[in-house]
Amino acid sequence: MSDTDQTAPIGPYPPTEAMLAEPVPSEEQARTKAELKAAWAPPRGWRYFTAVNNSEVGLWYALTAFGFMLLAGVLALVMRLQLAVPDNDLISADRFNQFFTMHGSAMMFLFAVPMFEAIAILILPAFLGGRDMPFPRLSAFGFWCFVIGGVFVMGSLLFDSAPTAGWFMYPPLATHDEGPGSDIWLLGLSFIEIASIAAAVELIVGALKCRPPGMRVNIMPLYVWYVLVVGGMILFAFPPLIAGDFLFELERSFDWPFFDPTRGGDPMLWQHLFWIFGHPEVYIVFLPSIAIAAMVVPTVARRPIVGYSWIVLSAVGTGFLSFGLWVHHMFTTGLPNLSLGFFSAASEAVVIPTGIQLFAFAATLIAGRVKTSLPMLWIAGALAIFTAGGLTGVMLAIAPFNWQVHDTYFIVAHLHYTLFGGMVFPVIAGVYYFYPFIRKKMLSERLGRWAFWLIFTGFNVTFLPMHLTGLLGMPRRVFTYSAEMGWGWLNMISTLGVFVIAAGFIVFVWDLLRPKGNQTQVPRNPWDAGTLEWSHDVPEEYWGARSIPHITSRYPLWDDDQLVTRMDAGRYYLPDSPHGHRETLVSSMIDASPELVQRVTGPTWITLLAAGFTGGAFIFPTFHMYPPAIVSGAFAVVCILWWLWTSTARLPEDEMRDAGLGLRLPTYASGPKAVGWWAVWITMLGDATAFASVVFGFFFYWTAKSDFPPEGALHATPALVGLAVAALVTSWALTLGARHWNRAGRVGVARAALAAAPMLTAGGCGALILSVQQLEPTSHVYPAILWALMIWVVAHALVGIIMQLYCLAGSLTGKLTPRFDADLWNSTLFWHFLCLTALVCGAIMGLAPKVL
Amino acid sequence: MTCKHLPRPDEEHREFREEADSLWRITLSPVTWVAHFLLSYIVVAVVCAKAPALLGTARIGLLVATLLALAVIVWLGLRAWRQWDWNNTGDYTNPVGEAEDRHQFLGHAAVLLALISAIGVIYGTLPVLMLESCR
Amino acid sequence: MSGGLIRTLHLGSTRRTRAPMLIAPALLAACEGQQSALAPAGSDARVLDDLFWVMLVGAVILWLLINGLFFYVTRINRAALSRRFANGLIVVGGVIFPTVVLGALLTYGLSIMPDQRAPGEGLTLRVTGEQWWWRVEYWPDGADAPIIAANEIRLPTGQRSEIVLDSARVIHSFWIPALGGKMDMFPGRESRMSLMPETPGRWRGQCAEFCGASHALMAFDVVAMPLADFTAWLQMQAAPARPPATDAAERGAQIFAREGCGACHAVRGTEARGAVGPDLTHVGSRLSLGAGTLKTTLTDFERWITHTGAIKPEVEMPAYDYLTDTDLSDLAQYLKGLE
Repeated sequence: MSDTDQTAPIGPYPPTEAMLAEPVPSEEQARTKAELKAAWAPPRGWRYFTAVNNSEVGLWYALTAFGFMLLAGVLALVMRLQLAVPDNDLISADRFNQFFTMHGSAMMFLFAVPMFEAIAILILPAFLGGRDMPFPRLSAFGFWCFVIGGVFVMGSLLFDSAPTAGWFMYPPLATHDEGPGSDIWLLGLSFIEIASIAAAVELIVGALKCRPPGMRVNIMPLYVWYVLVVGGMILFAFPPLIAGDFLFELERSFDWPFFDPTRGGDPMLWQHLFWIFGHPEVYIVFLPSIAIAAMVVPTVARRPIVGYSWIVLSAVGTGFLSFGLWVHHMFTTGLPNLSLGFFSAASEAVVIPTGIQLFAFAATLIAGRVKTSLPMLWIAGALAIFTAGGLTGVMLAIAPFNWQVHDTYFIVAHLHYTLFGGMVFPVIAGVYYFYPFIRKKMLSERLGRWAFWLIFTGFNVTFLPMHLTGLLGMPRRVFTYSAEMGWGWLNMISTLGVFVIAAGFIVFVWDLLRPKGNQTQVPRNPWDAGTLEWSHDVPEEYWGARSIPHITSRYPLWDDDQLVTRMDAGRYYLPDSPHGHRETLVSSMIDASPELVQRVTGPTWITLLAAGFTGGAFIFPTFHMYPPAIVSGAFAVVCILWWLWTSTARLPEDEMRDAGLGLRLPTYASGPKAVGWWAVWITMLGDATAFASVVFGFFFYWTAKSDFPPEGALHATPALVGLAVAALVTSWALTLGARHWNRAGRVGVARAALAAAPMLTAGGCGALILSVQQLEPTSHVYPAILWALMIWVVAHALVGIIMQLYCLAGSLTGKLTPRFDADLWNSTLFWHFLCLTALVCGAIMGLAPKVL
Repeated sequence: MTCKHLPRPDEEHREFREEADSLWRITLSPVTWVAHFLLSYIVVAVVCAKAPALLGTARIGLLVATLLALAVIVWLGLRAWRQWDWNNTGDYTNPVGEAEDRHQFLGHAAVLLALISAIGVIYGTLPVLMLESCR
Repeated sequence: MSGGLIRTLHLGSTRRTRAPMLIAPALLAACEGQQSALAPAGSDARVLDDLFWVMLVGAVILWLLINGLFFYVTRINRAALSRRFANGLIVVGGVIFPTVVLGALLTYGLSIMPDQRAPGEGLTLRVTGEQWWWRVEYWPDGADAPIIAANEIRLPTGQRSEIVLDSARVIHSFWIPALGGKMDMFPGRESRMSLMPETPGRWRGQCAEFCGASHALMAFDVVAMPLADFTAWLQMQAAPARPPATDAAERGAQIFAREGCGACHAVRGTEARGAVGPDLTHVGSRLSLGAGTLKTTLTDFERWITHTGAIKPEVEMPAYDYLTDTDLSDLAQYLKGLE
């Protein structure tokens, strides 16, 4: 490496105390402050909605998710009224079924998971002393997708056409269902699942690559650890459901019999795919909320957390174990006892890491000098409720007991105990705790206590009796029951309780929304907390952190009393914005050593447009309007390409930039040094998981069904499959070659490779499509799943073609050069995965019929 | 300040080289649990669907797999224990932003994950020991 | 072997674990429902009931300990206490104690699983879930044709009967809380369970897996009877339908034929051979109508025939609300007479 190397940091690091103690001249402070302010100014007026800042998008996200939660809560109120007395006819069976389906779906998909994403987007950069998330426009795109999908799915209630098959949509009930209900659920929520994966990618990259200098893995705030674990879980949990949705919608739209037992399908496959998603999902909801407790508890105990490593272990361990629990939702499906035993065992094992977290909190409170606060009251309530839910969970994990209470009100009680204790209460604690950070105002202590006692009491009055209701034999999801059953008084109590909960929420919402203009300015660190987010500016500034600090401990605000003053003075990194760009610091994954100044994107309409068209591509098929869906999808692709072309991997003005404290950092990176490359890597990991789920489907049919493949079935044409795989692999080799040749300066050869590769890809797609032409996908599940594999590969290959052409265009227009080649690196990475997909698909289609 | 204008070597690669072993240790013990779990589930599913008569053999095979898995986890755990170095440092919090603390923290996390993974594997073996049929 | 040991242990503890029920007489009264898992009348349900009370007592104690600890350190003694104690708490409370307790509970749970699914002896039942009723076939040992009934399960006490479950269209779940746990019914896949009633008497079962609009109204009666009574009853069920005994019933039979009821329903010994809906050969002697929804009184027969959709949303049987009052009454007489 020489002095002319423009890709590595130059200068002293870490900063010495002497460097940090040197004051910043006041005129420089004023100049850099003005530069930052200008670069991060939020859009005004009607352009406000073009904002992509984490502080704006996170807030919209949270409010929207909360709004959906209130709507889903109203559905619950109506259901409780219907069940208050036996033989009631307040609402019809059909409406009741729509309501409970939407209550569950909305609480899970429109509240719990998005709320995690919202809170993480809102506060993660602050924990990291950062400016923004690495991909602000991706957050905005995800948010708009969420709004459009959510309104569409919830809106179906108004037209009396909401899904009615329950939030886990078991086929054949859901596949037979007439009307668009099931399609609305599938397409609307698939759309939102994709938004969730986008958020997960963003959060993982944020937590790994955007930490402040010096924040090594052993001093990351616990919240960041949890975000990392949960992001990883989303990446592996959501794709199986997306794969399930893919098969399900093919059955709904084209009658391909994946779940139809009369033609070789099996409804069990959906249950597996759904719960491989569904159980980790419970922990995806629970862990980030308990992470809030992990931030509140040390503040209350006024000491660092006891058992930091234990909590990290618990989060990681829970993340792993939660993938071995899914069959405990299927204990009554008649699987062999032995199989149930494994899941029973894993379900008990997962209690241990969960318990460790609670005991670590208790240990912190024991070792600390406790100063209780309103957020702690909510956390204590959460613990009381969650431990009860956890203990009933221990009971339910014992398979034979589960045979009695599965699908009864005992389950309804259990799941509400875990979700209120594990999610709702900690999140409200978080709202009280972080409100001064988010809105620069305080919420009312008095109203907060009222809300707490109303919700806490109401909750227990509603749900505690339900355990008994279930044991007395009341199944869940019944719209009525007969007076003779003796469940009337229990249901009446539950209904009364639910209105107390509602009263509590009214108090809470009023406290959130009431005007607070006349409040005195909040102190910067009202709880005397030790983590970086409390270095925020009051009154609000939009730049995130005035300068990005160098961190050496877990609770920097407690351990370094100069830190905030120096941040404010712009003493640390990136205090300025010489070109008026929005920038943030990218650092190494383990030790957070600064590596790069990353330019981040600013306000735009394009994300909104892209989300709108993507919405169209998902919503039109619900009504079997395929041409508009295709047009809409094409427009979405155009919007996304425009967005990428104009705002990612832009050529920098200067290759290096003074980052402060004598450190000069590069401003452009490609390959593994670039955040974009990691985003592609993580996305493709999720995509590969979805593909693996479809492949799992193939082998599931083989194990579960004796007629798979059926006697004398036609197979895919092996020669054509082989040809297709060869073409795709060659196309991959050309893409990889293009990257090398381009780097080596042989631009002409690289362009030729990038021009030839799409043609090969197209040829490969053609061969693969032809290879299954003689198969009739509606006749049996075997040809259907071969078609599904073919569609999967072809769809990905089309994206691959777009990427190859995008790189070719970049090379021809000078956006992509031998030195600035990030797009080519990212495309090659995509192609690595595509090549692997093609090989697996080829092996199954071409070889499996001979082996099985 | 003589180093002021020298480019810094590729930090990311250096870190990963330095911690490659501990990162493997952290991941491998839960991955061993995953492998043991999936193996148990798949073997039972396939044997009970295709050849219930072989269940006895399959159970013995799974018990052998358990011993192997436990051996791997114990080995990983012991190496991680040495990396954590608690006996010498007496420090079980590793709260300082220095390379040494980071290294020991990763060791500590790996020890604990090995512990949880071992419990998971042992629990996962109980059904194999106690249940004898495909019913 | 360990299973046997544990069984002895918890049989010994049965009486003790009932104590909490005695403390709460209100609960005790509530437990005696006809569809209650807490009022067991079969060996499987009894074992699960014991398991429940053991776990409940354990759960309550643990809940009090954990929350008591939190209450103590946040409300009563807020000062900084021993760091050593805090660390020890994580290791003992977080790892050692739960590993032992959960391991023991898991062993207990696994040990009772084989018996719950032991193969039956003698009688086999085949129950098929329909939307929203139950098709029931009795296969006594060695029988080569089933005895067909619907919406009512009768089982002999003191012996374990095998129940084979499947479904016509969507997933249902077969559940008799007083006798044992539930088992799902899948279209295209047979699942098996077995039950051993101990006390003669009448209970109720209900579909537990959501199966569409009238899921709430898919129940059935369960009668456990001594073996001799059961055999006699089964013989009666095997017989063809009784001919109409009164003039009204005779006219009812003609209306039954005229309205085409036989296209869907079978009345063995007559022209009616439909297999779409429940077999009505002995409907008059059943305990309920419409899968546990109505009684088998004359009025309820009339209500059902004229208001099918209103009583049971989206049910396939059309409402015969155009029948004259006399026709209706005659038809009800006929059906009620099919004992």
